[in-house]
Amino acid sequence: MDDLLHVRSLVNSREGTVKPAIYTDPDIYRLELERIFARSWLFLAHESMIPKAGDFFTTYMGEDAILVVRQKDGSVDAYLNQCRHRGMRVCHADGGNTRAFTCPYHGWSYGLDGALNSVPLEKEAYRDQLDKSKWGLTRVTRVATYKGLIFGNWDATAPDLEDYMGDMKWYLDGFLDRRAGGTEVLGGVHKWTIDCNWKFAAEQFCSDQYHAPYTHASAIQVLQPTTANKADGSPLGEGQTAKPVWADALGGVQFSGNGHGSAFFFTGKPDANVWVGGQVSAYFREHYPEAVERLGEVRAKRLAGHNTMFPTLSWLNGTQTLRVWHPRGPDKIEVWAFCLGDKEMPDDVKDALVKSHARSFGPAGFLEQDDSENWVEVQKVLKGHIARKTDFCMQMGRGFEERRTDGIPGLTNYTFAETAARGFYQHWADMMSAENWGEIEALAKASEKELTNV
Amino acid sequence: MSDLATLDKAPLTNEKLEKLAAEIYRVPLELQREIEQFLYFEASLLDDWRFRDWLELFAEDVSYVLMTNTQSQTRDRRRGVHPPLTYIFNEDKYQLERRVARLETGMAWAEEPPSRTRHLVANLRVLSYDGEVVETASNYHIHRASKQTDIYSFVGTRRDKLRRVGSTWQIFERKMELDQFVLVAPNICILF
Ligand code: FES
Ligand SMILES: [Fe+2]
Repeated sequence: MDDLLHVRSLVNSREGTVKPAIYTDPDIYRLELERIFARSWLFLAHESMIPKAGDFFTTYMGEDAILVVRQKDGSVDAYLNQCRHRGMRVCHADGGNTRAFTCPYHGWSYGLDGALNSVPLEKEAYRDQLDKSKWGLTRVTRVATYKGLIFGNWDATAPDLEDYMGDMKWYLDGFLDRRAGGTEVLGGVHKWTIDCNWKFAAEQFCSDQYHAPYTHASAIQVLQPTTANKADGSPLGEGQTAKPVWADALGGVQFSGNGHGSAFFFTGKPDANVWVGGQVSAYFREHYPEAVERLGEVRAKRLAGHNTMFPTLSWLNGTQTLRVWHPRGPDKIEVWAFCLGDKEMPDDVKDALVKSHARSFGPAGFLEQDDSENWVEVQKVLKGHIARKTDFCMQMGRGFEERRTDGIPGLTNYTFAETAARGFYQHWADMMSAENWGEIEALAKASEKELTNV
Repeated sequence: MSDLATLDKAPLTNEKLEKLAAEIYRVPLELQREIEQFLYFEASLLDDWRFRDWLELFAEDVSYVLMTNTQSQTRDRRRGVHPPLTYIFNEDKYQLERRVARLETGMAWAEEPPSRTRHLVANLRVLSYDGEVVETASNYHIHRASKQTDIYSFVGTRRDKLRRVGSTWQIFERKMELDQFVLVAPNICILF
């Protein structure tokens, strides 16, 4: 163990406290880029976004600019979007299709496989002495795909993607695997900036069911189907729930494991939440039997709830938003939000879903607006010297962790809990203070034992 | 003086310019002024928090759309290849009304306390008028001051279609673009 910045003293997952310096300290942030973002499996793109050879999508791993490229043999590779000559960004488009990536600075040109294929004036300027085979684009060490989602990892010794996901796979499958054929990204990518630390967003989607009734009070109030809201009292769309999911829920569950987290309520029917377009929720009902067959009843019914796969991939069931919180310094993120639908959805449902997604969780979404505002204001308050030293309370449901016997995997608690937050920050501290993946895994084991006693 | 004389005599042989001229002057000045005043008024209703009045200026069948923007190389654009766009707004009248209702709850935290906005409408062109419907193009600049020191700026273009209703107009189609590739704001919680 090598706790360079003493981060273990800032996170006390047993007591349920964190010191807010973890959201502001530039040194901690620099270490995060190295120890979290250069060692974790990070979401790069969905396969459906780059179907043909030469299709590419530009994204980020932490702050590193990345090119994700469909190869001629159908596989996917990813490269640092940085020219090996003087470091210029090689590709400036958000996406497209190409045969080569040519650097705008001096014209070095790379193939789809990252190889440096041509250099201007190679004979005259380099006297034919440049060993081009040594100067290809820097390849992301590992690229792996899980049910359509493409991930990258810089660390050759990290566990395989599916081991890294652990029990989170069960929850993710409920999102990706409702129908044969899997999912695809619908429409374009929403991108926007929020002046807050990446952990606020990631942790909220990991663990914070608790904020929903209050933070989103305005949306809940005006989207409810009442005669005050709509003269005939009919809901925004046919087939939606009359109340927010928690109002009629038959209990709920929160999950924590490997730093990942998820929570949802048990519902009587496969009801999407009030902010899902009517056509979309009708679709979910119609295909419920297929989902039951594939996933079982609990996950088939689950059409609400939040999730984070550590560190920065989050999604919401039902509203179908999947997003990455790209870090941009200790006090800034870029949100990239994708709308995920089943491939088998009829086109008119896909269209309705894209619109419903934007209206709920796009940057102008009825729900999205409130979340970002909280994080921005917390970050501002943390400019204060005393504020940065003042403990945050993360004790909800402490000591009530359990392991269920009904097939819902992992360490769990009631849905309103901070078990997943405690797990998230403990995993963060473990990764930040471990020199390699062997140590991370040893620390994680010890932490889980200490955290839970179950 | 001699310049003027020369100008007078100059033959009008610039056909390309003549063609463009047809694109410039399309409707009577009076109509241009009427539409301009209508859009200025609409902007003032938003800036003065008269949201319910603002809704009145939109037809029951209104389509109100704001799209994202993406970047692609010129050679890709020539081939018609560019990354897909998506909606920021795609509202009908009822959804616009719900957005107003949301602001009225006093619990729409991104707008509590409410921000101040100035909706600037510029470069207005009235593109056509068929006796009932007017088509316009204009640019907008929305300045938003929020919380203590947050200043946001949204610039883009919009195409409105207005329908003659009694002595005034109603907007039944608003199509907007926003000139930001990564939106530099934590959210959009105001009306455009
Ligand atoms: S920096 Fe790319 S060719 Fe020189
Ligand atoms: Fe939220």
